[in-house]
Amino acid sequence: MKSKSLPRVRIAYTLKILTKNPLVLIGVIIATIIVILSLFSHVLVNPNLANSVTFSNQLCWGNHLINWGPSSTYCRNNHFYFLGTDYFGRDLLSMIILALPLDLAIAGIIVTSAFFIGLSLGSIAAYSGSFVDNIILRITDLFLSIPALLLALVIAVVFGPSLINLTLIIMVLWWPIYTRLSRGQILAEKEKNYVEALKSMGAGDLRIIFRHIVPNSIFPLLVQATIDIGSVILIVSSLMFLGFSPAQNLPELGNLVSEGIQNIYSAPWLIIFPGATIFTVALAFNLMGDGLRDLLDPRLRR
Amino acid sequence: MGLLRFLAKRLLLMVGVLFGVSVIIFVLSRGFPGKYPPWVQYLSSLSSNPSPVVIEQIKAAHGFNLPLYEQYFFWLRDVFSGNWGISVWAGNLPTYTVFAKRFPLTVELAVSALIVTLAIGIPLGILSATRSGKLPDHFARLVSISGYSLPVFWLGYLLQLLFAYYFKIWNLPYLPSSGAADTAFIGTVPVITGIPVLDSLLEGNIPYFQSAFAHLILPTLTLSLSLLGYLTRTVRSSMLEVLRQDYIIQARSKGLSERVVIYRHALRNALIPAITIMGLIFAFTLGGVVVIEYVFSWPGVGWASLQAIFVNDSSFLMLFTIVSAAIIGLSNLAVDVIYGILDPRIRLK
Repeated sequence: MKSKSLPRVRIAYTLKILTKNPLVLIGVIIATIIVILSLFSHVLVNPNLANSVTFSNQLCWGNHLINWGPSSTYCRNNHFYFLGTDYFGRDLLSMIILALPLDLAIAGIIVTSAFFIGLSLGSIAAYSGSFVDNIILRITDLFLSIPALLLALVIAVVFGPSLINLTLIIMVLWWPIYTRLSRGQILAEKEKNYVEALKSMGAGDLRIIFRHIVPNSIFPLLVQATIDIGSVILIVSSLMFLGFSPAQNLPELGNLVSEGIQNIYSAPWLIIFPGATIFTVALAFNLMGDGLRDLLDPRLRR
Repeated sequence: MGLLRFLAKRLLLMVGVLFGVSVIIFVLSRGFPGKYPPWVQYLSSLSSNPSPVVIEQIKAAHGFNLPLYEQYFFWLRDVFSGNWGISVWAGNLPTYTVFAKRFPLTVELAVSALIVTLAIGIPLGILSATRSGKLPDHFARLVSISGYSLPVFWLGYLLQLLFAYYFKIWNLPYLPSSGAADTAFIGTVPVITGIPVLDSLLEGNIPYFQSAFAHLILPTLTLSLSLLGYLTRTVRSSMLEVLRQDYIIQARSKGLSERVVIYRHALRNALIPAITIMGLIFAFTLGGVVVIEYVFSWPGVGWASLQAIFVNDSSFLMLFTIVSAAIIGLSNLAVDVIYGILDPRIRLK
């Protein structure tokens, strides 16, 4: 993996994978759109909308393209709302756009920190003697054998729901996966011939680890990280949905679904569209991760 | 190492893990009396603002004043006496009784979801691998990746809206959206196993069976759609790898039909990695039931654990996590043993 000509081969191969796999391309496009939308969300939508109340346009559907059934109502005066309004008369589409950056930021912070905690503990486990290795492995065992959502709920009840707590909680739950993964990767990489060759040439341990072994074993972790952006958004929104939202009006996708449930039959759009957004974001990152895995898996190359 | 020694070692490790799990949950739920202190379930719901005297009385009466490690020993005493503590919120019953009554319902949901997942996931994975890069593969990829991108709670409500609410509006045969059977059957039919679908069949009670089965459909669908992705992807990638092996080329060159090559020669080896992720699937199932039972008001242990969380009933939470951890641990152990039997190259370490 040290050859200079490799990057160009990689780019060509990447393009080939993208054209062969339309779904991956779709994932990349959706993810780009979502990231751009969330970067500019405060320009597109007035951030004060979250705290505004317009009871004249409460729980109404803003166009005549869809008939939601007998218990739902259309907005008065033909006021146009693309995705209808919620209990406080707020435009749902704007609320969804407002919610995007928060969800993405939480997921990004959690995955990045879990990645680095896991990578460092994993390398320590793989490189130190069996005693430390065993201790680290047993701790990951412990965390991996409790259903993650349940542990998150217990911690959230105990320490109270706040954004920082929620982020910390999920971080605590997520590092074991990366520890396991990086430990396995590094153990396998350590036994390869080129490491032997480096050692015989007199390269130091630290140099071998950080210049050679870690870069060569990091790709599966990157795939996992891409997929985990989606998974973390799912678990964050599940926690918010189950009632761990720090504030009632917080524009967060799971919270929006949760707030919509009281009016599920009169305003089904309040559940359908925020949930569909969570699904789309998770799907985009999962499609990307899936394509990355194909890209990096030498067994699938022809 | 012999199988028995391997089993003994792993079971011993598992006991350690279960002990660790119980300590984690115990310290979390008893050690930090924040918004929901563990004695909150003993307060009567009428007194919204209890006097400090009442709280002190409750704390003294139920041992919440003792040091944490002593409380843990009291919990251990409750465990060995068989009642695992008292769950006040569930009618002042022993925690074990509360759990045991609901557990069969969770088993019903989990098992039916696993059956559906296996029945769809394995053929879909095979199809995806044998038509790799073609339309069926893209379809299977989309289905499985969608599966693990779905917010479970959202899917649950979506199915409820469609099959319970809109089907009713459109005068189509609609499905029930909450509970494990019609309320008319609850308490009136004898309980044998606690699993409504099985009980009704054992008693030959056809209306009860129809009701229980209809109630099972939507939660099962929700759970299995969210599990499907992992299985399909694993079957696909292991099948692809097996199909590239020399013995498959040889089987094809012998002139065997593609069907025989795939189902008689390749599938058996390709399913081994699929078995190894069953432990993971069990773990996901147990996490998923908490949300799904809540969405469908399914009276199993997942929903109960959510209710227990909000009154900080540490004894119920510990029982639930210990049972979950034991199930995950045992299924991982079973996977390792089956793995060794199916693939003699792998030795148990």
